[in-house]
Amino acid sequence: MRIEKCYFCSAPVYPGHGMMFVRNDCKVFRFCRSKCHKNFKKKRNPRKTRWTKAFRKSAGKELTLDNSLEFEKRRNIPVKYNRELWSKTVEAMKKVESIKNKRQARFILNRLKSGKELEKAAAISEVKKNIHLIRAPHAGQAKQLEDKMVQKLAEDVEMDE
Amino acid sequence: MALYNFKKIMVVPTAKDFIDLTLSKTQRKTPTVIHKHYQIHRIRHFYMRKIKFTQQNYHDRLSQILTDFPKLDDIHPFYADLMNVLYDKDHYKLALGQINIAKNLIDNVAKDYVRLMKYGDSLYRCKQLKRAALGRMCTILKRQKQSLEYLEQVRQHLSRLPTIDPNTRTLLLCGYPNVGKSSFINKVTRADVEVQPYAFTTKSLFVGHMDYRYLRWQVVDTPGILDHPLEERNTIEMQAITALAHLRAAVLYVMDVSEQCGHTLSQQLELFNNIRPLFANKPLIVMANKCDVRKISELSEENQACDRLLAHRVDTKMKTKKVHDVLNRLHLAVPTKRDQKNRPPFIPEGALLRRKAMETNAPKRKLERDLEVELGDDYTLDLQKYWDLMNPEEKQDKIPEIWEGHNIADYIDPEIMKRLEDLEQEEELRAKAGEYDSEEESEDEEMKEIRQLASQIREKRKLKVLASKEKDTQGSRMPRTAKKVERATLEKEMADLGLDMTDKDDSHYARRSRSLVRKRKREVSAPPTSRTRSQSASRPPRDQSGVRDAKMLKKVKTMMKNSQKDMNKQGRKGESDRHVFDVKPKHLFAGKRKSGSTSRR
Repeated sequence: MRIEKCYFCSAPVYPGHGMMFVRNDCKVFRFCRSKCHKNFKKKRNPRKTRWTKAFRKSAGKELTLDNSLEFEKRRNIPVKYNRELWSKTVEAMKKVESIKNKRQARFILNRLKSGKELEKAAAISEVKKNIHLIRAPHAGQAKQLEDKMVQKLAEDVEMDE
Repeated sequence: MALYNFKKIMVVPTAKDFIDLTLSKTQRKTPTVIHKHYQIHRIRHFYMRKIKFTQQNYHDRLSQILTDFPKLDDIHPFYADLMNVLYDKDHYKLALGQINIAKNLIDNVAKDYVRLMKYGDSLYRCKQLKRAALGRMCTILKRQKQSLEYLEQVRQHLSRLPTIDPNTRTLLLCGYPNVGKSSFINKVTRADVEVQPYAFTTKSLFVGHMDYRYLRWQVVDTPGILDHPLEERNTIEMQAITALAHLRAAVLYVMDVSEQCGHTLSQQLELFNNIRPLFANKPLIVMANKCDVRKISELSEENQACDRLLAHRVDTKMKTKKVHDVLNRLHLAVPTKRDQKNRPPFIPEGALLRRKAMETNAPKRKLERDLEVELGDDYTLDLQKYWDLMNPEEKQDKIPEIWEGHNIADYIDPEIMKRLEDLEQEEELRAKAGEYDSEEESEDEEMKEIRQLASQIREKRKLKVLASKEKDTQGSRMPRTAKKVERATLEKEMADLGLDMTDKDDSHYARRSRSLVRKRKREVSAPPTSRTRSQSASRPPRDQSGVRDAKMLKKVKTMMKNSQKDMNKQGRKGESDRHVFDVKPKHLFAGKRKSGSTSRR
């Protein structure tokens, strides 16, 4: 029993789910659901359909080249069962999985970092341009003027004395 | 060989079809247009052609029938006799004779009418002659309806006869009905003859082929023969008799030992003696069948009888003259020995062992089936016990295949531990280098304030957008001054923007204007200071109200001038100025170049 990958969106296809299409040149296409199947029939390119993994990987939105991704590879020659090897493999799998997830998360985080700078700049320009919507330009000026006048009067009084 | 022609006989059409066919052919293939003003020889030629064409067609087709059907004298006597049995020689010959006569009659008719056509002097006369000729030919053919039908049936049956080659090695099975001849042929050859419990299941001859000693043998199955004199035999039995009489074959007389066919052994023996004269000059074997049902001590098992049969058959074949001819020409070549070394044929070890094992015939290992029988209900097919693993005690393990959406088989690798170590080291290095440290966003106070202001601004803008969406665009546009501005809303708005709006009772918007002033006029006779007028004097002019400083004023003026530029270029005062001073200026519409498309004027 194997969990296959959907040809279109690269989602896991569990047994008993999805559809399989075999072409005349003996190439097999598996789909996880009718959405992918219908898109395939419409001859859409998964590398251009934005919600698929193929697009995300080809557009550089997700981690593609990494050692942790090399562990999972379809092997065509089966290896004879060996209890030790199998149990070690299962443990290794768990560790590799955790490392892989960490690295993928870090990749996405780094990608989104530059957005923060842009956000800052946008906030600054917004404030500069449209401050008049929340604060009148000479908001505190009347008070300032009054304070100045008071000061001046006080000075005059002093001078007189 | 005559037998192949039986399948190539052309279809014999029915009389009606034949007539329709020929007449329509005449109409299509000969010219149809003729007028009465043509020259008479042309008219005559036209109609003569039609008569001759029809005659030709009939003649050809009938001749073809006559040649296609086999002449009973020319074919092998076996087939001649068979056809006689099936179709009655006399009837057959008569039918063909009638066809021949019809052919000759048609020829004569055509000849006569062609001769008469010479005396036709008008189109009408010639046409009538042609009609008469064609009519007579068709009547002749209509009378042959019965013969044609009969010949068609003969042709169909003939094409379905089994292809029995009368000259090759043949075995003939005969005996009472239901003794097992068809079963025997089914077993021995690839033929599929119907076997049923009732008598006369086989109603005609059947052929099967088998290989023995690299040669092809024909096996012919006949319908059963009952014991009565020749004259009383029906068609089915006669087929069997014909086969017996004419085919030079080894005869296998099948007897039913168990008497399941319904006839006693003595009856069968009687029959055997009666048809004995037919077996002259043919090797004969008496076959005792159905021995499994009832054993007779001196008779052996069925398959042994077959072997004996085969042996006998070959011997009989050897006795026939044909083989001697061939033997003279055969010569077995043996290579001469060049030295004394013995070179026996090479048989590999495994083959020898297997041969020995086959001979001993003892069961070698415990089969799965035996195990199943032993265990009964508890039995489960456990193929894992045959696995060839490095540690045999792991054979009964349940192998995990999937973990959290991943196939374990994809990760299996003898070097996985090493690679995992490398990966973990790399990960450590990265962690040390600080890749995984979460950065604390240390923003200073200023930035925080800016962010807050920005969010406030965005909110305010959204509200403004919503407010502007709610306004009534379909209704009539009122000037700004139509709606009265409430003092409270104005003061609240300005306070939100940060201005100080306390004690503004003396400001220009808070003071009561003209209406109140007018009321006071009656009481006090002091001259009105016409505050409104002075107010209007103190009110800034419209092009200066709202303008903060000189820079803004300058910008405003430029904007105004910019928007006016386009209009000035077109010589218009504004958008609504559509007046054309001179719709058709004379210098463009008069003179030599007034009309047409000239690109310069």
